[in-house]
Amino acid sequence: MSIATIPPGPAGHPQARRTLHQVVWRLLPLAPFAFVVLAWAAYWTIAQPTAATLPAVHDVVAAVWDLAAKGELATHVLASLWRLLLGALLGILTGVIGGFVVGLNRSVSAFLSPLIVFFNAISGIVWLPLVIGWLGIGTALAVFLIWNTVFFIVFQNTVLGVQLVPQVFEQGVQALGGGRWETIRSVILPGALPYILTGVRSGLGFGWRALIAAELVGATTGLGQMIFGATEFHRSDIIIGGCLIIGTIAMAMDRWLLLPIERRTIERWGLVFDATKEK
Amino acid sequence: MSMVSATSASTGLSRPASGPAIVWRQLRAFRILLPFVALVGVWWAIYASADFSPQVLVSPLAVWRAFVNLVTHGVMAEYASTSLRMIGFATALSLIVGVPIGFAVGVNRYAAHTLESFLRFLQGISGIAWLPLAIIWFGFSHTTTLVIVIYTLIVPIIFNTMIGVRAIPETYTLALRSLGASRLRLVRDVYLPGALPSIVVGLRLGMGYGWRALIAAEMLVRQGGLGDLIFGARTFGQIDRIMTGMIVIGCLYIVVDRLIVQPIENLTVAHWGALRQ
Repeated sequence: MSIATIPPGPAGHPQARRTLHQVVWRLLPLAPFAFVVLAWAAYWTIAQPTAATLPAVHDVVAAVWDLAAKGELATHVLASLWRLLLGALLGILTGVIGGFVVGLNRSVSAFLSPLIVFFNAISGIVWLPLVIGWLGIGTALAVFLIWNTVFFIVFQNTVLGVQLVPQVFEQGVQALGGGRWETIRSVILPGALPYILTGVRSGLGFGWRALIAAELVGATTGLGQMIFGATEFHRSDIIIGGCLIIGTIAMAMDRWLLLPIERRTIERWGLVFDATKEK
Repeated sequence: MSMVSATSASTGLSRPASGPAIVWRQLRAFRILLPFVALVGVWWAIYASADFSPQVLVSPLAVWRAFVNLVTHGVMAEYASTSLRMIGFATALSLIVGVPIGFAVGVNRYAAHTLESFLRFLQGISGIAWLPLAIIWFGFSHTTTLVIVIYTLIVPIIFNTMIGVRAIPETYTLALRSLGASRLRLVRDVYLPGALPSIVVGLRLGMGYGWRALIAAEMLVRQGGLGDLIFGARTFGQIDRIMTGMIVIGCLYIVVDRLIVQPIENLTVAHWGALRQ
């Protein structure tokens, strides 16, 4: 994804041109957002749809502002984030530990792999009708669905990462007198880390979706419930505002939390893979 | 989805099918079933160990009966075909529309830079989050479900096509253009093969998201489909039907993934994988 490189500015007036070019380049990503808002505002002014069909831009802003002022928005956002945190932590923890146990043992992983493929195929929202009867409506249900989603993705990636660590490295540590534990700590863990983090990143993408879907029916608070509850009263302003908040949180999480972690790990440990490629 | 299923590294026997090879192959087929047999055993043991209400847990036998019942009455075929038609149509449309858009955006450095953040943002809003708005606009209809699934599928496809085109070394394009190739020729000989691995990644991710969005949307729209089947069964506490539906959903997804997406992936990596190195 090397799109964000600044192209060389045209020759001519080097300094001023280049600065202008850079400013335009930085501002370009905002253009589609501005375009959508303008088109929306224009359509609204010309076609005058009812508030339930398409609210005005300022109505959405006002609705979000109103929810924020009443403190409702914070309650919903925090409820959703708390569920995501709990479910994701559980999923990552069990996924990594399970992945190591299974990945280090070839016969176990061969035995379990069909089961994992099957349960991965039904991970997430598919469990909702069954589990709603076991756990009822609320945080436990959402946490279960997120755990279920995150676990299988992290687990599969951990197993893959552990199995792909070249045996030469393991044997190297063993030849120097390292035990089983030392091998895991100094070779397998760093070797598998990039895979684990890819799994975490993709797992959270699926988990966030599962959470919103779960909250539509299986919760009394949370962003999903906020927008689904608004359907009943045809409050499109709340729905659209809610969707924008959901997108912003997902993007912020990916860009400022997961991407930097992944990038740093690959920079730190990526060498392992170059070594294998050269063979 | 940059994950690969952790299948065991079993060595395939490439010998022509002689006596022992057939036995061996049957054994291998059984080995895939073995963990499921164990799982059903554990399930039955849990079921027998305590007195569960039929609203909480049912025996594997009851699920089997529900399955047979649903199949013989043609109910399962109807619900499953609704879901499959929906995902099939959405996938075809998303590819036909999404890939050209991805090309158009990807070939232009400025267009790609302009739209990257916007597409990321759209990808962050899961399709299912638009469901309430779609219900207001289109009512509780197939259109609502279809719109949600197409949205969920098309965004990763456009995004990954764009990324794929951007990753093609400019030398290839320049080489063809200096030989006088037309735009169409460039698409056919450079953009399509070069971006294909990335397009398939987008397709896989989109299918992963889209299939789940479909099930979730069907649960709420209630106009047929497997999501409707399992969510409707919940209202009457029919655990056997719910579990049957879950198993069918899982099997169908694996079949779609293994028989359609994975062969395409293998084919593209085998053919074009070298381009990425």
